[in-house]
Amino acid sequence: MANVPDLDVSNVIKRFGEVPAVDRVSFTVPTGSFFSILGPSGCGKTTLMRMIAGFIEPNSGDIRIKGEPTLGIPPNRRPTNMVFQHLALFPMMTVADNIGYGLRRRRVSKADITRRVEAVLDRVGLAGAGPKKVDQLSGGQKQRVAIARCLVLDPALLLLDEPLGALDLKLREQMKVELKQLQAKLGTTFLYITHDQSEALVMSDQVAVMNAGRFEQVGTPQELYYDPQTPFVAGFVGNTNSWTGQVARHAGQQVEVATEDGPVLKAHAVDPVTAGDKVSLFVRPEAIALRRETPPDGAENLVHGSVQNLLFDGGNSMAIVQDTATGHMVTVALPQTGEFAHLSQGEQVSLSWQAGQARCFAAEAPNASRTP
Amino acid sequence: MRALATAKLEKPERRLSLILLLAPAVVWLGLLIIAPHIQLFALSLQEKIGPRLYETGLRNYVEFFGESIYWMTLIRTTALSILATALTLLIAFPVAYYIAKMLRGRTKSLLFVLALLPFWVSELIRTLGWIIILRETGLISSALLSLGIITEPIELLGNDAAIIIGLVYTSMLFMVVPLVTVLDSLDDRLVEAGYDLGGNGFTVLREIIIPHAMPGIVAGCIVVFMLTLGNILTPALLGGKNSLWFTDQIFQKFIVRFNWEQGSAFGFLLLLTSSLIVWAGLKLTRQSLATTMR
Repeated sequence: MANVPDLDVSNVIKRFGEVPAVDRVSFTVPTGSFFSILGPSGCGKTTLMRMIAGFIEPNSGDIRIKGEPTLGIPPNRRPTNMVFQHLALFPMMTVADNIGYGLRRRRVSKADITRRVEAVLDRVGLAGAGPKKVDQLSGGQKQRVAIARCLVLDPALLLLDEPLGALDLKLREQMKVELKQLQAKLGTTFLYITHDQSEALVMSDQVAVMNAGRFEQVGTPQELYYDPQTPFVAGFVGNTNSWTGQVARHAGQQVEVATEDGPVLKAHAVDPVTAGDKVSLFVRPEAIALRRETPPDGAENLVHGSVQNLLFDGGNSMAIVQDTATGHMVTVALPQTGEFAHLSQGEQVSLSWQAGQARCFAAEAPNASRTP
Repeated sequence: MRALATAKLEKPERRLSLILLLAPAVVWLGLLIIAPHIQLFALSLQEKIGPRLYETGLRNYVEFFGESIYWMTLIRTTALSILATALTLLIAFPVAYYIAKMLRGRTKSLLFVLALLPFWVSELIRTLGWIIILRETGLISSALLSLGIITEPIELLGNDAAIIIGLVYTSMLFMVVPLVTVLDSLDDRLVEAGYDLGGNGFTVLREIIIPHAMPGIVAGCIVVFMLTLGNILTPALLGGKNSLWFTDQIFQKFIVRFNWEQGSAFGFLLLLTSSLIVWAGLKLTRQSLATTMR
């Protein structure tokens, strides 16, 4: 039974009225992994998770947990537990009673409950917090209690519905690391949904990018970032610059695109395209080399422009450069080597990037429903 | 904004505005509640020893405990009031839960208004409605007759069940409103979490919904209990001569016997009883009046 995945979702469809909220979604989550579903709000990720938890039934398709079919089984008899978006800790109970709630439902003996609650509190770093009231805890502590309340039941699958959404930025950064470490330590399978790409990229082993009820791409964070397979993924995961245009020439996956603004750019085609096809082209700000002088020969794509705006954000600082020839705005990451610390508005710069760093996708039909 | 404005006022002005703001409440309480009660209490301590001749003493209270019909009536009234309150809670809770949690938007407000609607009619008319249903020639009796279940018309009025039905019906609104309010504030995710962690309908109700609704339950019960205990119309109309409701005893003393001294003493005993029961109820449910009335 070693090869049975913890979660196996196949061809699940859920419609609300005419509109499919989840449309033919299939994926498997291997045992012990951290799997995230990343998508904008309204993409159907919460609906999908609620189907796995058992709060709603799919119209068609199958959901298996540890190989067992789950359709028709209510949430209280599924081996899954959920950490809710606003945690949903029971305010009328103490921390220990919150965590012991599930054990009491299983008729575990009182002494056993006390022992197991203390053990799990210790595991999440809250030893001794049992007698406290829920509202005496800080945001991060509540978070850990919510997770402990599920973990004490030893679920086959822990579902997390944007649990970090209510926290402030600093705490969120800290909890991201904590959650990842906790998951690695426990070995419980985590299914995490979020609209925050940084949460998904930092914590997950595998990420599924979801849009308009469908999975656009499933892969490791690196695959999604370096090798997006759809324009949506290219635009949603990480920052990106985009152009639209027509294929001028193509040789295999190497294409030259005449952009609508003017310049001809070389790129790597992800979709099969032929000359004359409308395409969109994406280049990450981090993939663009910024220079004050024209680069030595060999730059596959070269744009001259002037600095329009500086978005200083420490290590994530960006410059917005306007192409002198076309007026197109390009966002470039500022290298933090000190060379550009005093870059100022209006300065003339040159931008260059490798064709392999530019991804080209067949443009969607104007009425495509994929756009977010 | 208003807090800011008050904070800026000088001290004497602030005191004046406080006095002005409190004045209507103080006048209301003082003239209509405290003053009459002080007078009633003074009256209850007057013993009549001859025409227009009085003496201060506890005889009116002693008489209450001496005559079993008096204290038995008070105990009976209290017990039936507690029963009516409990039944009201039992019926109102599912109604309130359905309105607060199962419905959304227009149907929700519609049903809420429907629960309210009977209270646009006076209590007298509503009680007369029950008389029409329950009397010997009434709806139930004639329906049972025509179905052949009974052979002679039956009188359903004039017993404790009729009183309880009337009281529960009259009290419904005062239970539904606080329950809907408190259940409305219950986060659906708490209920979902209750199921997700292995609870069934009963345990979720016991461990999550009822503890959350407790302030509303207690508030509703206090109001309903007080109204029921102090009700005079419904027991008199539906219970008839057999009603033996304590308020009726007070009425008799004041109006029929013109014995205001004894009536005042009875009034105070009723007040004491209801306060005692409410206090015991609060202690039993570990609620405080402050959280309940929020």
